[in-house]
Parts: sequence; C-alpha cells; structure tokens
Amino acid sequence: MMVQLQSILVYTFIWGSIYLLISLGFSLICGVLRIFHLGYGVTFVLTVYGTWLFMSNVGLGLIPSIIGMFLLQIIFALVIFYMGVFQRFLEQEEVLLTLTMLVFLTVTHLANYLYPVTAGVYLPTTIIDGTFKLGAVRISYQMLLAALVGIAVAVLFVLMFLKTRAGLIIRAMSQNIHASMLMGANINRMYYLAMALSVIPPTICILMIAPFWGIDPYMGSPLLATAMMVAILGGLGNLKGTIIASYLIGFIHATVSFLYVSRFMGFAALIVTLLVMIFRRGGIMAGETIW
Amino acid sequence: MLEIKDVSKYFGGLAAVDHVSFSVNQGEIVGLIGPNGAGKTTLLNLICGIYKPDTGRVIFEGEDITARPPNKVCRAGISRTYQIPRPFEAMTALGGVTVGVINGKRRPNMTLSDAALEASYYLEFVGLFSKRDTLASDLNLYELRMLELARALATTPRFLLLDESMAGLNPAEASRALDMVWSAQEQFGITILWIEHVMKIITQAAQRIVVLDYGQKIAEGEPTAIMNDQRVIEAYLGGKHARH
Amino acid sequence: MVTFELKRDRVLLRWGDRKYEWIIEPRYWRNPALGVIFMLILPLFFYNRPSILTMITTANLLAAVVIPLSLQMIGTGRVNFGPQLYLGIGGYTSALLNLHLGCNPLVTLLANILVCGSIALLLSPITWIARGLYFSLITLILPLAFLDLTYIYGDLFRGEVGLVGMSALINLGKVKLNYLAYFYLSLFLMLLYMLVADKIVRSRFGVSMAAINEDEDVAQMMGVNVNRYKVFNYVFPSILIGIVGWFIVHTFRTFAGVTYLPLEFMIKILIIVLVGGRAFIYSVVPGAYFVAILEEILRGFGPIHYVLFPVALIVAIVVLPSGEGLFGLYHRRHHRDYFPKFRVRRE
Repeated sequence: MMVQLQSILVYTFIWGSIYLLISLGFSLICGVLRIFHLGYGVTFVLTVYGTWLFMSNVGLGLIPSIIGMFLLQIIFALVIFYMGVFQRFLEQEEVLLTLTMLVFLTVTHLANYLYPVTAGVYLPTTIIDGTFKLGAVRISYQMLLAALVGIAVAVLFVLMFLKTRAGLIIRAMSQNIHASMLMGANINRMYYLAMALSVIPPTICILMIAPFWGIDPYMGSPLLATAMMVAILGGLGNLKGTIIASYLIGFIHATVSFLYVSRFMGFAALIVTLLVMIFRRGGIMAGETIW
Repeated sequence: MLEIKDVSKYFGGLAAVDHVSFSVNQGEIVGLIGPNGAGKTTLLNLICGIYKPDTGRVIFEGEDITARPPNKVCRAGISRTYQIPRPFEAMTALGGVTVGVINGKRRPNMTLSDAALEASYYLEFVGLFSKRDTLASDLNLYELRMLELARALATTPRFLLLDESMAGLNPAEASRALDMVWSAQEQFGITILWIEHVMKIITQAAQRIVVLDYGQKIAEGEPTAIMNDQRVIEAYLGGKHARH
Repeated sequence: MVTFELKRDRVLLRWGDRKYEWIIEPRYWRNPALGVIFMLILPLFFYNRPSILTMITTANLLAAVVIPLSLQMIGTGRVNFGPQLYLGIGGYTSALLNLHLGCNPLVTLLANILVCGSIALLLSPITWIARGLYFSLITLILPLAFLDLTYIYGDLFRGEVGLVGMSALINLGKVKLNYLAYFYLSLFLMLLYMLVADKIVRSRFGVSMAAINEDEDVAQMMGVNVNRYKVFNYVFPSILIGIVGWFIVHTFRTFAGVTYLPLEFMIKILIIVLVGGRAFIYSVVPGAYFVAILEEILRGFGPIHYVLFPVALIVAIVVLPSGEGLFGLYHRRHHRDYFPKFRVRRE
C-alpha cells in the first residue's frame, strides 16, 4: 500500500509536470487568440521529425538541429497556421477547425511516409542516464529532469505574464480585445508573439521526454487529446486552471494505474472531465481569461 | 391582473431590484419610469422568467408564475418586446412573426401556411405587410420596432411588456407608434406595462405611472401627480420641470 | 381518426386536432427528380466494375451519415464533431447481436434503434448544459473514448480486426447482383433520410428550429420549448446514424471501430459538410460523391495518398466559395433558402 501511495505521488508529480508542458502552448492560444487550435499536435511531430531531418538528411549535430527545428517550428506556426489559416478564417469556426485538423493530418502522414516506424528515428537527448530510487519508487533521472524543466518553464511563463509589459498586454487582450485595441496595443504583433511562445513548451517537452516516451509519427493525436482535456478541465485559456488541471489529470492517471488497471486511465480522466463540465460549466477556473 | 409582490433581485451585493411591489389591473396601461440603472429591465426580466427573483412573488391572473421558464410564461399570456430590437436576423419579417404565431399558444389545425397567413394579418396591422419578404437585417429602426410589436402580438398575449419602444424614433414615428400601441390595446384587449424614457409619450399614454430609482419604487400614481412629485423630480428629472 | 385530403396542390393529413400538409410544387420537384433518375441509372454503366459500385455505395452511406448531422446542426445550433460515435455504437450492437445471438437483421435493427436512442437520450443533456464550443469538444472526445473502450474490451470487440461474417441483408446469388442491390438499398436509405430531413426543416418545426438558431432567448420568450427541440434534434439524428451503422454491418459484413471512429473518418464527414455547402441538406450528396471519388482516385497513388488526401481537401476548402461549397455553384442560380418558403396569397 505504501509503495502504491508513493508511486502515485511520484508519478502525479512527474506526469503532471509533463502534461503541464504539453498543455501550456495550447492554453495560451486558447486564451489569447480565442480559438481552439486543433493543429497543435503538429508541434510534437515537427519536434521529433524536424530534428531528425536536420540531423540525418542535412547532417548537423544535435544542438544545431534543435535550433534549426525551433526556427522551423516558429516559421510553421506563424506562416501556415497564423497567416494561412487563422487570419483568413477567423469568422468561420468550422472551417478553421477543419483546416487546422487537415494540416495536422498532412504533417503526420508526411512524417509517417518519410520516416515510418521502421526507420529507427530517435532523439539522443538524454541528459543524465540511469535510474535511481526515490523512496520505494524507481524512476529515471531523465523523468525527474523532464518534470523539473516543466515546472521551470511554467514558472517562467507565469513570470512573463505577470512582470513583463508584453505579458500585461496579452492579459488585457485576452480579457477584452476591443478595449486593448483602443488602448493602443498592436494586436497582430502580440498574436505573433503568442503563436511563437506557444511553440516553445511542447518542443522542450518532447525533447526532454523523447528518451522514455515512445516516438512514432502518430504521437501527436494522444498528446493533443491530453492537452485538450487539460484545457477543458482547467478552463479554456486560463493558465492557473491549466496548472491545476495538469496535476489533477496526472493524479487521476497515476491513481487508476497503480490502484486499478492502467488500461482505464484515459477513460477515467474523460469521465472526470465530463463530470466537472456538467457541474461546473467552463472548467475549474471558468473565467476564460488568461490569468 | 398582474401583481408584483415584494420582488428583489441581487447581483453579487448589488440590489438591482429592491423589494418592489405594485399591481396592474386589467385593461390598463401602466408606465414604468426611472433613471438608467434603476432596475426597470431587470424587473421585466424577472416577470418574464429570465431571472429568478431572490425574494417575492409574481402573480398573474391568480396564478403564481414566479421563476417559470420563459416559454411557459409566454403560454400563460405574457409577451414582451426588447429595448434593442432582437429580430431573427436571417429570417424574413413574415418568418419572424410566424414563429410567434406557431409557438405562442397551442394551435389546433394549423399548418405552416395557415400560420404564415395569420402572421400576415399581424404584419398588416402594424403596417409591415409590404415588407413581409424583407430580411429582418434590412429593416430600419421603426420597422424593426413594429416587427417586434407584431411578433409579440402574434403570440396572442393578454399582457404585453413594452421595453422602451420609442427610443430612437423621431417625433412623427413616435406618434405613429403610439397610435399603433393604442389600437393594439383596443383591438386585442391587452393590458400593457410600458417602460419608457420619452416623458411626453408615456404621460399621454399611461393611466398610472410607477417610478423606480436604484431598484426601489419611489412613487406611483397619475401622470400629472408623478410629474410634480418632488422625489421623482429630484431622482429623475433633475431639477424643476415645466408643469403639464 | 386519420383522414387524407387531396387538394389542388397539396395533400392534407388530419389526425385528431393536428393538421399536416405536403405542398406539391411541380417546379420544385423537377430538378431533384432528374437527379434521382440519374443516380438510379448510374450503376448500370458500372455493372462490371464492383470497385466503382462500392465507391458510390460508400458515397451514399457517407451522405446518409451527414444528412442527419446537418439536421442536428440546424436543430441544436451546435456543431457536433463526433457523429460517428453512433455509427460505432449502432454497428457494434448489430454485429454483436447478429454474431453471438444469431438475431436476424430486422431484430438487430430494432435493437439498434433502442440502444442508440437510449444512449443519445442519456447524453442529450450536453446540448443544453454545454455551451457551443464545449459541446463540440465533448462530442469530439466521445468517439475516441468509445474507441478506447473497444480496445480495452478487445476480446469482445475484436480491436483492430473487427467483427466479420455477419449475415447479409439480401443475397441474390450472384456477387455482381449483390453489389447492385446494395447500391440501390443505400440510395434508398439516403433518399429517405433526405426526404425526412427536408420535411422537418421545411415545416413549422423547422421555423422554430431556425428561430432557436438565430436567438435562443428570444425564441424561448416567444414560446418555443428550446430544450425539447434540442433533445429531439440530438436523439433523432443519432438514431438515424445508428441505422446507417446497421446497414454497413449487414451489407459489407465486416465492422471495425477503427475504420469509423477515429479522426480521419470524422474529417471526411466534416469535409462533406464544408465542401458541400453548410446550411443545405441537399448539398450533402455532391459533397459525399466528391469525397468518395477523390479518395478512390488518390488511392491509386499508393501509400502517399494518406498525405495527398488532406492536401486535396485543404485546396478544396480554400478554393470553393465559403459557406456554399459545391452546392453554392448551383444555388446561385436557383435561390432556395434553408428556411421553409412562405407564400401568402391574398384572397
């Protein structure tokens, strides 16, 4: 029993932090641009396969590849998603959602076509190798590091929103876009900033978890589903809610896995999300502003 | 006919409507005036069932209709218009009024074309028959207000709640609209509770006026008495007002 | 009791104190009649090419899924991102009953209607509890959760392989005749759905549904029982989609949730709505045929077709006139709103 409790605690911490990283970008876009970015899964796929592309086809080392991949991600998010889809179809939500989904499907299937599972894609981003025992639980250093990095990135994000001028403008935009425009905020530039920022947490997350999380071209879907569930549970676009919800879902997954059967973890999280939606519409922190 | 008994509504700590009581008798036109933010539209929403009152009761024709859902209130015989006209934008004028005809009360033996025919009678009554196939988004303000009136009348109410029907109309349009309301009252035999800001109209039309300020009823009585009541003048008219 | 009356241009049905009428407008029926005749003759050209027959049968079935979806969108005022949930539920119900209990197709049809109806009724509160976007999100997740469930209980649902060998609806002996018969049956199903949806939308219920779509609060103030309409418009189309699942089970005789439940299938359905033209129920047919034919053409390119298909769809969405899609090219010449047409004649 003690072992299970310890496992639950440790894995809640680890998974919660990882889910937090995954969902931060999604919540940011939800809160600032007020759209549901169903193509967010592209960031996960591009991280892995973009880096691999630079490393194996272009022949760069790991660090230059990562930098190249970051640039690729930001360009992709700004040009294809923001300028290509969001700006043109902001008024027609169904078209917007479908187009983003189609872009995601294109990228995923392209990755599968160019680098199928048999191509042996891997990211050598292990920082510390080996495992250690935390109490009665054995985890790898990489997992702990991923969790710590997750918390660090989240803290940086929150500080950015609370302390910097750009963060203040973004918070104002998420509350009342017209008033912000009247106050002189440069909406477009802030949107660019938000899109670029939203790409960073998932990229860092995948780089950190690649050694122990399975990599395949279709990894975008389940991770997007997790991000969506965290966003819905926490309140769309609310960072406080995202933080609370990621640890809550991490807790649910850990509890179901260690106290029951791990097959049901996704299902259990879904049931909890639905129940919260019914009894508290809008999620845990239903305010629909970013902080 | 309609009795408001000690009704209150609080939003957070703010009392939008604070223990208001009055009644409206059958066949009357009662005016409801007060400064902006006095709680007039909130009171209307409380009668219609859009909000639930925190205290008090709303009694209509002997039945307690407090906190009934709006469609049941409509079926009971109360209808309303809106301060800012809310037509069905993508439907024609005829379509909007037909919605009222079909759903206002239980109609045996009525198909869509029968309902459209009846709707056209209401449109003709308010003078919009020639615009029956125009989309509601293409009508001007006066026509929109007439459409609102036609739609409310189409639900065959016994009690009509008018919310600032004269706002934004020039004097000629306003007097035409007033005539329309009067002929509606005569022809359909309805009782009216009328929120209004245009003093000239409401003092002409109403038999009694109720005054609200900060959610509380501060005066009630004949129009001339209200116009000269010191409390009303201070709260609303802001200084001396020429006597009628 | 129930009486029929035939007037000069309409059929009246009287039942108790209710009156239903069907106005017959010869001008209105000419183009659809031509379309139907064209679709009836179509398979005879491809009698010897079963792959094309399967393709247009699939197109008919896709249309039969999207027509209830359009009805649902018009009636509830929300976009349902997961109609294939009921395809999966209906299909598995029919398949499991048929395989394990040996029920014949009629019994599985009734069971299908019952199961889909009850589950839809159970889930219907989300139509009024969840606001627009949340409704779409919940419906997006539900089919994936159901797919998860089929994997969890893999021994019952047979996971990715699916269930095979259900009994056929009709068996005419020769395989080619079977394919032909399946096409005509699917065509009949699709046309039936189109007729039902058309009648509902162009009636007094359709007007109230349109009012709910425009402005819910005002509609409620005019006496429309909004929740009842939303529940009906969620449950009824769900049952119709479940019946399509039953049809798939008994004609294709294999059923795997993984074909119909994940994102890829849902994209096809959404595309049909968008490319066909959104507010129209009739536009579903060209949309469905477009998607089915596109998929078949691209399949010839080999494994890269998984990439080409989304790209082709992106091009289609961006290029076609927004909101009207393929049907918009036809609609511009024949003006017909999706609201019922009112004609008031002065006597």
